Amino acid sequence: MSAVTVSDLVKSYTPGTRVLDGISLHIESGAFFTLLGPSGCGKTTLLRCIAGFLDPDAGQIHAGADRLDTMAAHRRDIGMVFQDYAIFPHLTVAENVGFGLKARRMPPAEIAPRVAEALRMVRLDGMAARLPADLSGGQQQRVGLARAMAIRPRLLLMDEPLSNLDAKLRIELREDIRDLQRRLGITTIYVTHDQEEALAVSDSICVMNAGRIEQIADPFTLYRAPQTRFAASFVGSMNFLPARIEDGRLHLGALSVPVSSDVQGTVEIAIRPEDTVLGTGKLALAGQVAKITFLGREALAAIETPLGPMQHLAANPSATLLRAAGSAISLDLPTERIAVFAPDGSRVAVTFS
Amino acid sequence: MRRADPWRIVQAAVWLLLALLLAWPLWGILRASLIVGSEPGFGNFVEILRQPRHLRAIGNTLLVGAGGMTGALLLGVTLAFLVVRVRLRGRAALQTLAVLALVSPPFIGAYAWIVLFGANGAVRRGLMEIGITIPPIYGAAGVMLVFSFKFFPNVFLIVSAALAQVNRSLEEAAEGLGLSPARRLMQVTLPMILPAISAAALLAFVLSIADFGTPRLIGRDFEVLATQAFLLYAADLGENPGLASALSLVLVALSMLLVLAQRRLLQRDVFHGSLLKPRPPSTLRGWRNIGAHVLAWLIVGVGIAPGLVVLVFSFRATRGPVFQPGFGLASYERVFHAVTLPVWNTLLFSTAAVACIVVAGTLIGYLITRRRSRATAILDGVLMVPYVVPGVVMGIGFVAAFNAPPVAITGTGLVIVLAIFIRRLPYSARAAATALRQVSPSLEDAAISLGLSPGRAFLRVTARLILPGILAGGMMSFVTAMNELSSSLVLYVSGTITMPVRIYVAVVNGDYGVAAALSSILLGITALAVYAAFRLSDRKDASFVG
Ligand SMILES: Nc1ncnc2c1ncn2[C@@H]1O[C@H](COP(=O)(O)OP(=O)(O)OP(=O)(O)O)[C@@H](O)[C@H]1O
Ligand SMILES: [Mg+2]
Repeated sequence: MSAVTVSDLVKSYTPGTRVLDGISLHIESGAFFTLLGPSGCGKTTLLRCIAGFLDPDAGQIHAGADRLDTMAAHRRDIGMVFQDYAIFPHLTVAENVGFGLKARRMPPAEIAPRVAEALRMVRLDGMAARLPADLSGGQQQRVGLARAMAIRPRLLLMDEPLSNLDAKLRIELREDIRDLQRRLGITTIYVTHDQEEALAVSDSICVMNAGRIEQIADPFTLYRAPQTRFAASFVGSMNFLPARIEDGRLHLGALSVPVSSDVQGTVEIAIRPEDTVLGTGKLALAGQVAKITFLGREALAAIETPLGPMQHLAANPSATLLRAAGSAISLDLPTERIAVFAPDGSRVAVTFS
Repeated sequence: MRRADPWRIVQAAVWLLLALLLAWPLWGILRASLIVGSEPGFGNFVEILRQPRHLRAIGNTLLVGAGGMTGALLLGVTLAFLVVRVRLRGRAALQTLAVLALVSPPFIGAYAWIVLFGANGAVRRGLMEIGITIPPIYGAAGVMLVFSFKFFPNVFLIVSAALAQVNRSLEEAAEGLGLSPARRLMQVTLPMILPAISAAALLAFVLSIADFGTPRLIGRDFEVLATQAFLLYAADLGENPGLASALSLVLVALSMLLVLAQRRLLQRDVFHGSLLKPRPPSTLRGWRNIGAHVLAWLIVGVGIAPGLVVLVFSFRATRGPVFQPGFGLASYERVFHAVTLPVWNTLLFSTAAVACIVVAGTLIGYLITRRRSRATAILDGVLMVPYVVPGVVMGIGFVAAFNAPPVAITGTGLVIVLAIFIRRLPYSARAAATALRQVSPSLEDAAISLGLSPGRAFLRVTARLILPGILAGGMMSFVTAMNELSSSLVLYVSGTITMPVRIYVAVVNGDYGVAAALSSILLGITALAVYAAFRLSDRKDASFVG
């Protein structure tokens, strides 16, 4: 297990377009670190640079005291779990799991117990002699996990390991992965574009966009205090409204509240649907309910306001609310829940007084 | 690149090989074509444009190309629809026989047609006795007819594979929308297999215009570019290969134009997903059922008839070169006493060529599919070149390139092996690339991350998984290598004569008994190799599940 440091990593496939544009990050030893971002933002590229399948154009990768990026891929001691499982179809489950040990020329007598242990960890005991073709997708991915774990790698990389599985299995397996990772304390980098999955399993989440890092934070901080407009919009749902800061006041349409900030001029305010309140207050927008979507535990109200569409999430919705479509309402935006972003997407520090 | 990648060395070696065996010979032809007497100039090309004989050869080449293509398409597409879409008795047998027709030695077909329909042909004489006179097969029509029956198995294999891939839901959807069967065929099914049909058409055309043996044996005075280039070359015996080289270049240019045109017309084949629901063949009733059976068996029957004819004739009694009534083993005795050298040469050269083809083809297939870059994309394109260079042309090029130091190897077996190698390399590389596309690249990545070096990961995982496919492809290469006539004919000397060349010589000399016996031996070995390939590809299917 070791801490991982990536510094100023740059990678382009074609000259001129940087798929990784100066990535720097630090991962604590034993952490579950997730790369989250939209398709094409460079997650796989970063992971493959760390694994050694791609050579970065510039920058360094360290694991503990070792420099990884100059080391051949097969010497890096990195376990990898693949989106398409990558189980060797011509080998049995046990042979798959023992593959890395055999490659390390471990004596067969030592391999057998290690394989059995790894299979037990992923709850596949009893399947050792099967061929991969006889396994379900979920089971194949468990073999992939056991195979990567069996070599006791210093680092475990997973690239969307669950995206080929159905929803129920995905949740089951992600819990298993998380438990196993905690128990073994193995530093893990996990790639997903499923934000719920990221929030559920990670110690730390790195939001990427277009080859750059937007924010690295623990799930709670990321959700509660996004540092960029992109992170705010990508993780969870978020309402955005145009606003202005002028003469010590934040102007929202005809409304305004006193505010202290270094920034003047056009800004955007953001607030999560569950943070908005039906009722009056200092920043209450008049609007009309366009649609109510009942979700069981909660209900989502789409509200048209003069400043743009807003969403309000009501916990334990009342029967009245469910029939509220078409009616006029007042939606209050509690100032302590509002985040303000500058036009360049960066977070603006403000204090409402 | 900061770390060594063994594939870079492989790529460098491949480029070197192509430069030596492809670029250099072609450059040799180009250089020779631009020399008249000993002066540089365009005289040879002017000569081609001035001489009606050469212009006619160009026209004839295009004519037999179009004719062979049309006939092969008609037969091949019809058979493909019948075999894939109709429940036929003996379907597997039909498919096997079609493959046998495909691999049976090419010019044997021409020779067998002469035996049946030539001036003294058995069928023709028989018909004459009952008062029906048909013209002998010689000439343009005969060449096109032979081409149709020779190349339809290519079309059949390509089109039936594509037809089997057509997802049944698409056709069912069309049916659900109320399209009649005929309109469904025209509007849904045909457009979907059009890329396959056009690829097959192109192949038939290119094979037809590159073919040397058929027009040489059946054409008589009907000359095409391939035969004319060879005759000019043989007449000069390499003294002044200028005109032959120029004609060769015209032939290469024609093929190249066609390939480029086809590429422009259609985008490259897309690979379909794995969740295919093939349409089950439908059962026909009554006369339609009978008609379908008769048609399918007729096409295949005529396709394999040459092989059977040759086999029968090889057992006929002979005295000297003349057939006698009755049967006997005289022809085989003569082969085993006097002409064993070509048999051994053929086996030796083919084995050597195929060993090289399999190794190089696999490595190149890997570069094209797994190490994508501008350089490997160009490599993929360059691999089209041997495909459009007819054997005669390649042979002339090899003579031009390897006749003098630094590499003086003409007259050796090596030069024959190398010519076969470069001619068949693209097929093997393509086969390897296809096999590789079925193996997920992450398998190899997984092996590397588990601690195998890239070279060992390739051997232990990827190569292991594509091995059955590669061996099956190797067997098919072996078949084509054994049957190579045109380049060997240019390159052989008496010590390096091969079976196809010997058969050709025997046919030209009217020594039909020896020709039939040698052809039958060649057919036998071919059938064995095809059987081995079938067995290998069966195993492949079993181990590829999952
Ligand atoms: N081999 C390649 N050659 C050229 N461009 C590539 C190559 N691989 C990836 N790219 C490009 O690099 C960018 C980043 O790709 P990458 O696979 O890292 O994205 P990703 O974040 O993993 O996306 P996804 O969520 O879809 O897997 C994309 O724009 C992609 O098109
Ligand atoms: Mg990816």
